[in-house]
Amino acid sequence: MEGLFSAYGDSLRLWLPPLMRAARVTLNVAVLSIAVGATVGLLVALLKMSRRRLLRRPAEVYIEVTRGTPALAQLYIVYFGLAGIGLTLDNVTAAVVALGFNAAAYMAEIYRAGIESVHSGQREAALSLGMTPLQALRFIVLPQAWRVVLPPGANLGIAVLKDTSLASAIATPELMSRAYDLVGQTWRPMPIYLVVAVMYMAMCLPLGQLVRRLERSVKRSDAPAAKTPGSAGWGQRVSAA
Amino acid sequence: MSGFVRFWEILGAKLPVFLPYLLKGALVTVKITGATLIVAGLLGLVLALMQRTRAWLIGRLASAYIEIMRSVPVLTTLFVIYFGLASVGIQLPSFVAAVIGLGMLGAAYMAEIIRAGIEAVHQGQREAALSIGMTPAQAMRFIVLPQALRVIVPPTANYTIGLLKDTAIVSTVAAPELLFAAKTLVSQTILPMQVYLLTAGIYLAMSWPLARMAHHLETRLSRGV
Repeated sequence: MEGLFSAYGDSLRLWLPPLMRAARVTLNVAVLSIAVGATVGLLVALLKMSRRRLLRRPAEVYIEVTRGTPALAQLYIVYFGLAGIGLTLDNVTAAVVALGFNAAAYMAEIYRAGIESVHSGQREAALSLGMTPLQALRFIVLPQAWRVVLPPGANLGIAVLKDTSLASAIATPELMSRAYDLVGQTWRPMPIYLVVAVMYMAMCLPLGQLVRRLERSVKRSDAPAAKTPGSAGWGQRVSAA
Repeated sequence: MSGFVRFWEILGAKLPVFLPYLLKGALVTVKITGATLIVAGLLGLVLALMQRTRAWLIGRLASAYIEIMRSVPVLTTLFVIYFGLASVGIQLPSFVAAVIGLGMLGAAYMAEIIRAGIEAVHQGQREAALSIGMTPAQAMRFIVLPQALRVIVPPTANYTIGLLKDTAIVSTVAAPELLFAAKTLVSQTILPMQVYLLTAGIYLAMSWPLARMAHHLETRLSRGV
């Protein structure tokens, strides 16, 4: 092991700067995807909890279809598929759209579990004070749902961060695809991919620790016990360190 | 609007060619999923038992393995195994590399699932087994694991669905599974939207019944626990 790395010591100095720049792209794509997932996810969750069938059904179908198909296939549909019918997205936008809308389906179930964990009396009280449903949601329900939503939401964020590596398949210039290029130039796959693995670890492990601390502090507080969101079916996506 | 109609017309006309080709890929997807499940289950059991031993170092090793696997994207692991090992002289066929790569990550998940299952069995069960003269291994094999199984099965079904979708990733190392077949078709026909939508439909057709089953198992086996 020592030999491996000392032999590549000089090369490492050459590889690290481009890989570091690529890691920034990875983080950017991850943050944007999480933002899209958190926003669209909330919308989908609200639609799914609507009493109107016409609003509820599409949200349900969206969640089931998205969670039933691979993220990589979704990435191909957004990037190659849309281009095939005349809508060309650049590879960063396509990655953010695909990963974001993928995360939204998982996020929707997390929001739903959080909102349902808030006692319905809270909402009723807010309405009886004269708040509109939207105000009740914004000022009464969501702030209380937050601590149930946050730990699994953060876990999902870590999963999204790792999933950005899939975007290398559409040549988004993130960490994995930069590594692939470097391997093409240097023909040294083993050290390069190991370095990349360590870089992902450096990003994900601290986040995982943070999530675990978050989980503990939520458990200690009197937050209502969350039902594991969407634990039935579709495979767990929460995959923190 | 005519473009929309045309889109489905093309898909309809090509379906007799596309579908058999893609289904052949889907069969490989199922095989990879099955083989990975076995590897992940066995390796996961070993890891779970390692975590439960009183030997500190062995437990730490297992925990470290789990943490590391979970914080690295499976695509990176796969590339280390497929391209990395090939460069140091170990050339694995893409199917084998796929199963090892997915299995190594899966083992980390399965270890946590199995550990939770073992911990759900009351301590007294094991003690009683030991007190009637069973060895620790016998107690684990005949008393603890059979009872742990009902806790282990539902999350394992869940993991299987995640795994089925994750197999799409091994198309990047040219394992001839569903998404790889789709990519090949696209390069031949230049009809990406039709092919990938059909592919997504096939994935859905596989994961949907699994999800129903997982839900069913969850409600059934949670009764009386």
